[in-house]
Amino acid sequence: MFYLSLIEHTLRLPPHLLNLPLDEAIKIELEALFLDKVIANLGLCISVYDIRSIKGGFIYPGDGASTYTVEFRLIVFRPFVGEIIVAKLKESDANGLRLSLGFFDDIYIPVHLLPIPSRFESDPNNRNQGRWIWDFGEAEEAQSEEPRFVIDGMDQIKFRVHSVIYPSIPLEQPENSKPFAPMVITGSIDYDGLGPVSWWEEAEMVQEES
Amino acid sequence: MKIKEANAGALTNFEVLDFLRSRGASKDPTRVIVPIAPSEFKVYDYLVESAACNQTKEHINDFLERCKNYKLAKAEVLNIINLRPSALVEIDPIIEQSEKRFGKQLEELVNLVVEVLPEPPTQKNAEQGNSEDKEETIDRKDMDEGERETTNGDEDQAEQTEDGEKMEDS
Repeated sequence: MFYLSLIEHTLRLPPHLLNLPLDEAIKIELEALFLDKVIANLGLCISVYDIRSIKGGFIYPGDGASTYTVEFRLIVFRPFVGEIIVAKLKESDANGLRLSLGFFDDIYIPVHLLPIPSRFESDPNNRNQGRWIWDFGEAEEAQSEEPRFVIDGMDQIKFRVHSVIYPSIPLEQPENSKPFAPMVITGSIDYDGLGPVSWWEEAEMVQEES
Repeated sequence: MKIKEANAGALTNFEVLDFLRSRGASKDPTRVIVPIAPSEFKVYDYLVESAACNQTKEHINDFLERCKNYKLAKAEVLNIINLRPSALVEIDPIIEQSEKRFGKQLEELVNLVVEVLPEPPTQKNAEQGNSEDKEETIDRKDMDEGERETTNGDEDQAEQTEDGEKMEDS
């Protein structure tokens, strides 16, 4: 899920940080610049791991601040394809599910990557939202009683990373569309052991009994 | 900005959690004082609820030693350490071609995982069967999430749109 990346960056250190020791000042500046930001093809930057080297310290003419070339390592969040991650349900609508990790929210499970067969039951109060139900096994039982395999917000959902894309920044955005997401993870729960954790706890108990 | 090495090493969830802890992150509300950004705290909160929170370096090293004879791919070992599967059905999506490569040995691998790596906290609750505690923690979690989402949701989205443009320029 997390990788270390070695980055070299030319940094301008604003004068108000000059009273601090150099490492601290540079760290503060790097954190302000990189933390919680997405770098294309690298991932979401979580933290500055360490600073390898600081060179430079030149002051350009007309500027009151010094400029350093810093080499440092960042912890980035970049899941690889095939990784299994546990997340919580954020939204569920007719296009599929949207999951959240707390620090990262753009995880989508489109309809074709849900276990087959699944059906969508829309919420009477809210037309767009609803819940997904997996129709597994006995069809008659599922229809008559409360269905067993519902995807609701109760417990955590395990999914497998299908792809990670970094869409390019759009030039213009229409008014009411969702804010631009620089990193989008597409996941799949169409396999044994994936989906809400509670689905498979039942399976375990059944196995132990038999 | 130049990316010298995009992949200077994979980190397990435990290593990131350890790093955040060593800088002072903790669960209690003395969060304003420590030099950790709110976004890093979100990562900490996620990791503390995952299987990584009770692990130690010794557990990880022990597990790495003992799983060498199973010839697992690096990605599979990483997944196993991060998720701590305790049943066959949980380890199945992690390992590719599990029947061909392992067959019966898969159970041994699951037993090894259960033996070496410590249990995550949510699994302990489920096994004790304390439904009341579970409901309480879920309610509290939901409340916290609701609050955090409303206050930080806008900020995060604004940050993402801003930084997208920034990164393109550099």
